[in-house]
Amino acid sequence: MTVAFDQTLDVKGAKCPMPLVKTRKAINGLPVGAVLQVVATDRGSIADFKGWVKAAKNVELLQQETVENNGTALYLHYVKRTA
Amino acid sequence: MALAETQTDVKTFTAAELYQRIVADTPTFIVDVRNEEDFGRWGVEGRNSLEVINVPYFDFIEDEDGSVAKVPADRNEVLVVCAKEGSSQFVAEILQSHGITARFLEGGINTWGNLYDVRPVESNAYGQIIQVARPARGDLSFVVVSQGQAAVIDPLRHIDHYLNVLNTHQAQLTHIFDTHAHADHISGGPALARKTGGRYFMHAYDAIHPLDMLPARIDYNHIVDGQKFQVGHYTIEVIWFPGHTLGQVNYLFTDPDGKSCLFTGDGIFLKSFGRPDLGGRGEAWAPIVYDSIYNRLPPRINKDTLILPAHFSVMNEDNGQGVFAETYEWVLAHNDALKYAQKQDFLDFVLSHLPKFPPEYVEIKRANAGLLIPDEEKASELELGKNICALSD
Ligand SMILES: [Fe+2]
Ligand SMILES: [Fe+2]
Repeated sequence: MTVAFDQTLDVKGAKCPMPLVKTRKAINGLPVGAVLQVVATDRGSIADFKGWVKAAKNVELLQQETVENNGTALYLHYVKRTA
Repeated sequence: MALAETQTDVKTFTAAELYQRIVADTPTFIVDVRNEEDFGRWGVEGRNSLEVINVPYFDFIEDEDGSVAKVPADRNEVLVVCAKEGSSQFVAEILQSHGITARFLEGGINTWGNLYDVRPVESNAYGQIIQVARPARGDLSFVVVSQGQAAVIDPLRHIDHYLNVLNTHQAQLTHIFDTHAHADHISGGPALARKTGGRYFMHAYDAIHPLDMLPARIDYNHIVDGQKFQVGHYTIEVIWFPGHTLGQVNYLFTDPDGKSCLFTGDGIFLKSFGRPDLGGRGEAWAPIVYDSIYNRLPPRINKDTLILPAHFSVMNEDNGQGVFAETYEWVLAHNDALKYAQKQDFLDFVLSHLPKFPPEYVEIKRANAGLLIPDEEKASELELGKNICALSD
């Protein structure tokens, strides 16, 4: 199932901690209720996003999925600003 | 907040330096900034003066001050560890900006997992015994050099370390001995044999995968109880020690003066012994372990025989200098698992102290039988974390 989103953040090629640093920044610039799609290539981002939403107060992880794109795996994270 | 992309003067530390600190028991404070899940799977273990806390790097993004406050104020220095390197540098910079001296692990935690430590056990006129350890896994292997010849016992997967030792000692590897088909790590034996022309030995019982019931597809020379070899000045005798696996053996090296050392593999460890259940037959194999420990082995060695096992569970099993070897007399006095006079008490103890069965151990045995050829990524995934070959406390 595809999740509807308001903005997309491309962090392909970025390594830890940058995907989450940039995601945090992007979320801060979004209105409450908006959904951010994050496109990452770092496999570690799956577990890190799961852990991060537990520590973060105003975000909810709606969905994570892995898609193939020209032989590279893309990790998609859908994050909603809740407050 | 400092970003990892900017150049800073935060210094690094290496896995080798970390191990030196652990061996010397230098007070060391580690902040592991991986997520809780990865941290829970495995991490840096040391001894008394090593402290490790887990504060994920994203906690520093969310609550910088609160996360920094988790570092006790009186620590001289903080060593930061993460999966790759970036996040630990990021956190080290934050700590520095709060006035805390911090360094980060060069290359990330895998450099710790893949660290090998080489140190001499013994050296005399007849030859040298060299311990090759992979400390993060609690894995031990050995090279014995004598008169330009060498034997390797239980070589681990990264064979370059053995080639370096052989090169340093200008020795020709003639005998590669596996004590058994390992479940916790991938043997370097067959690869070392291909590379050096040395002969690879193991017991035929271990050339059958115990769960698949399939024969191994590796090149090996089978050995039998009592078989003898000569490497330089050393006479080597095979002592069958079944129970952990059906084909486990110990190798007894004796020099011309009658001084001996015993490579026990996952037979007896310094503080425990090899669990009997990794072949899926714990109840049937536990009595076999009993016979090996109490009946088969004792008549073949003496109290001064040096015991050199394939594993340690905790760092404090060493001699204080990173070497894991003690006399048989010492082991009998200090290894509580060997003190059961009654067979039934022994069996009750063993069967109530079996740790969890790591599912990847079935796969590792397949790899060691040549039934599966893992690539580097798969291999390092299978070997993640510390061995669980001993009984639990
Ligand atoms: Fe084993
Ligand atoms: Fe083992």
